[in-house]
Amino acid sequence: MLKLSAEAKVGIFVVIGIIILALMAMKVGKLGLRLGEGYEVQAFFDTASGLASDAPVEIAGVEVGRVNKIRLSEGKALVTIKIYPGVKITESVKAIIRTRGILGDKYIELLKGVEGAALILAGGRILNTEPTTDIDNLMIVLGEVANDIRILSHTLASVIGGEKGEASLRSILDNLDKTIQSINRTVQDNDENVKEITSNLSAFSQRLREIGDTNLDDLQIILKNIRRATGKIGELVAGINQIAGRINRGEGSIGKLVQDDATIENLNKALTSLREITDKISKGEGTLGRLITEDQTADRLDQTLSSMQEITEKINRGEGSLGRLINDDETVESLNSTLSSINDLLKKQDMFLTYLDYRGEYLFESNRVKSYFTLRIQPREDKYYLLQVVDSPRGKETVTDTIRTVDGVTITEKKVESKSSDLQFSAQIAKRYYDIGFRAGLFESTGGAGIDYYLFKDRLKLSFEAFDFDVERRPHLTFRADYKPFKFLYLTTGMDDFISDIGRESYFVGGGFSFSDEDIKTLLRSVTFTARTD
Amino acid sequence: MIRLSNICKSFNDQVVLDQLNLTVEPEKITVIIGQSGCGKSVLLKHMIALIRPDSGQVIVDGEDITSLDEKGLNQTRKKFGMLFQDAALFDSMTVGDNVAFPLREHTRLSEKDIEEVVFEKLKLVGLTESFHKMPSELSGGMRKRVGLARAIALDPKIILFDEPTTGLDPIMKDAIDGLIMKTQELTQATCVVISHDIDSAFKIANKLAMLSDGRIVESGTPEEFQASKNPVVVNFIKGHAETNNQN
Amino acid sequence: MIRALEYTGRPFIYIFEEFGRIFTFLINAITWMVRPPLRLRLVFKQMESVGVQSIIVVLITAVFTGMVLALQTFYGFRMFGGEGLVGATVALSMTREIGPVFTGLMVTARAGSAMAAEIGTMRVTEQIDALYAMSVNPIQYLVMPRLVAGVLMLPFLTIVSDFIGIMGGYVVGVFLLNINPGIFMARMVDMVNLGDIFNGLIKSACFGLILSLIGCYKGFNTRGGAEGVGKATTQTVVLSCVSILISDYFLTAFMFR
Repeated sequence: MLKLSAEAKVGIFVVIGIIILALMAMKVGKLGLRLGEGYEVQAFFDTASGLASDAPVEIAGVEVGRVNKIRLSEGKALVTIKIYPGVKITESVKAIIRTRGILGDKYIELLKGVEGAALILAGGRILNTEPTTDIDNLMIVLGEVANDIRILSHTLASVIGGEKGEASLRSILDNLDKTIQSINRTVQDNDENVKEITSNLSAFSQRLREIGDTNLDDLQIILKNIRRATGKIGELVAGINQIAGRINRGEGSIGKLVQDDATIENLNKALTSLREITDKISKGEGTLGRLITEDQTADRLDQTLSSMQEITEKINRGEGSLGRLINDDETVESLNSTLSSINDLLKKQDMFLTYLDYRGEYLFESNRVKSYFTLRIQPREDKYYLLQVVDSPRGKETVTDTIRTVDGVTITEKKVESKSSDLQFSAQIAKRYYDIGFRAGLFESTGGAGIDYYLFKDRLKLSFEAFDFDVERRPHLTFRADYKPFKFLYLTTGMDDFISDIGRESYFVGGGFSFSDEDIKTLLRSVTFTARTD
Repeated sequence: MIRLSNICKSFNDQVVLDQLNLTVEPEKITVIIGQSGCGKSVLLKHMIALIRPDSGQVIVDGEDITSLDEKGLNQTRKKFGMLFQDAALFDSMTVGDNVAFPLREHTRLSEKDIEEVVFEKLKLVGLTESFHKMPSELSGGMRKRVGLARAIALDPKIILFDEPTTGLDPIMKDAIDGLIMKTQELTQATCVVISHDIDSAFKIANKLAMLSDGRIVESGTPEEFQASKNPVVVNFIKGHAETNNQN
Repeated sequence: MIRALEYTGRPFIYIFEEFGRIFTFLINAITWMVRPPLRLRLVFKQMESVGVQSIIVVLITAVFTGMVLALQTFYGFRMFGGEGLVGATVALSMTREIGPVFTGLMVTARAGSAMAAEIGTMRVTEQIDALYAMSVNPIQYLVMPRLVAGVLMLPFLTIVSDFIGIMGGYVVGVFLLNINPGIFMARMVDMVNLGDIFNGLIKSACFGLILSLIGCYKGFNTRGGAEGVGKATTQTVVLSCVSILISDYFLTAFMFR
């Protein structure tokens, strides 16, 4: 049988344990993994009685989120819900707290509202809510309603029935009679005033007719001009029609463009503003409105329209550069690809981050601090380059042991040459797949590689590095755990060089801070701001 | 080399050492004799600070080890090798690993060099063939010899022997006595031997000291002891036949 | 009067003293844990002895516990037609209680007692003195690796025990008692949270610390030859088991609320 070392046996066991744990966690905690993702919305409930954090939120029986927290706000229960990414809810949605079965747990059901209502975005609020409607509540409400009805009918009976009721009814009718009489009187009293108003109105219309007669000539000119323009426009429209027909059939590049939703939206917008302009023109507002009323303008308009017609015809025939451009399929494709590559570039620019980082580690064994200054360039989220200067307190150390044998007695001599401190350099390339990152390159001036495991939304990072593969010595292995409680600061602990055969193994604790260029910009801005206010 | 002054030690109100004074001369074999249970082992363990005195000083190489902390003590202890009463070999290791233990802990020799040294030391005690055996497979005398090999693995300046010949047959006793002398000769180490075996004591000692009632009652060369008029010493030397079987 | 008080008070004072000594011992071991050398090889050796060599006994305990749990709860739940809950009950009991506690008890019996016996023997045969004499701190050499191994290995044993226990329950429930396997699993997945598993694992790490600490402490303070070693071993098993059960209550009260 194969003889395994203790390390190997423990290793196999630990791996099996981790696999089982991962299996069980995945089976049981399918939601646990998703808890961190999604977006938050809020909802006010009159009562959140029985609702607990982490209670499911469902649409049509499918879980779409979880209750994040519940707190009191303005005398109502403010429930924060985390909706899983990819699930969209609209403002017309209705949130109801329901009970599963008779004794089951409470959960929130979202009833889908009207189609096409605006989406609720992260941080938004569900306005339409209904608190728990369990059977008890229902019974209480029903009881109240019955009670109200009873009281109402009782009062009605007492009002209408009996002598007292009759008397009050009669007095009401009397009052009505009096009121109508007084209205009648008021109208009669004001008869004169009404007549005056009517005569004023007729005088006003007389004036209006007079104004119309004097400007008749002008009006006729305007109408003639407009008729001419309409004729031209008619021809222009026919030309455009032809183009539109081709576009409709999807011919030519514009045809393709039109099939794009975004284009249509833009066109819509353009058309809307065009309509606004025409409205203004027809009202005679603005310069254009005034211009149209002049003869000269009409001629110019005429010319413009003619040349426009010419251009459309040319375009139609595919003449001229624009025509060729528009009629060419390739153009659009190249335009499209140009646009998308510009988009990509912009996105990349967005993600391109540079980090500055300082880390100090206190080594227990040597009672000294090891410092790292790091520049991390991160062109993509899953990839970065790392340049590092390491100030190692131990420096390079060479140990030589010699044995001498004198008269059958062996004497060992040890010679240690060491530089007290030394600057070393690291240059690494790193790539990340999901929660696991790999690094390779120069580690403290020697070749090596490392693995990082990211946990808890990257707050905790476990790293394992191996480098300094010397034939004479064991490699330098480092295990490190970084915990990031705040945005810029982190704490670190681990074991350095822990299989060292020259007594360099040491635990360490330490900390550091890390800024991205964005952070620095923000910081600088706030600094200058405070400086100015001073 | 080692000087104990005014050492007092008691366990649960029972006084074991009482104002004890003793000087161990360097590069000689000093044998401390006394009756079983009179506190000889306690005295020996004071020298390497396995037991700390209630009062008094233990001075090794001019340094008071009673006031040292763990770190300083570890440095001082590296000057020592100690052979325990039952050898105190680690049961979980082979003989070779036992002897290699201090080398692995305190030197940075390669495994090959360590093996060489271990072989050397085992050869000195004549047990090279037991290299791969476990301590439980060895006889008492062999275990003591392995213990000696382990004690001298780091070539210490001081070697302490806690009753090296107790429980052994006469031939083995003689062999161990011979080994102690041979080792001392080779390494020129300071040796302190605890014994109630007056024969071996006279045979190996350069200096003798007699412990009784928590004090050193007599010290000197073997010749001086032979001529001593101190009744305690005289009784011990004469009555050795009775005391010998008591342990 | 005063003597009577003294007489009755002595056991309590003794208990507090013992508590204090064990705690000091733990602090001592922890300080030696962070001082080099790290002695990883010894830690691995202990991990093998505490972890790997305990697998079989833990497996057997877990599988039969899971099976009997399924059997017992089945008859209870059948009275009101809740057979589907058997899976959830087995899984919850295994992950929250039985996995960690039974693993702790079995490892106490297997490894805790061995620690006490081994260190105790080393104490009475002066091997611990020999370590001191060779400038090797026995707390670091003997105690620290055992504590680390206990704390690290118990969670792994527990997770294996949880898994196997649930498997045992599944086999009995589905194949013997004809519970629908889909319902069995669905109910289990419904009711068991990730927190149940992790809290169980945290508990087991605490048990690992308790059993190895007591084993080492009792062994380290052994007096009086072979008889002393026997006494130390017995005391270790009794004290560890009691401590595990008591601390289990408090840990549960603290974690699951």
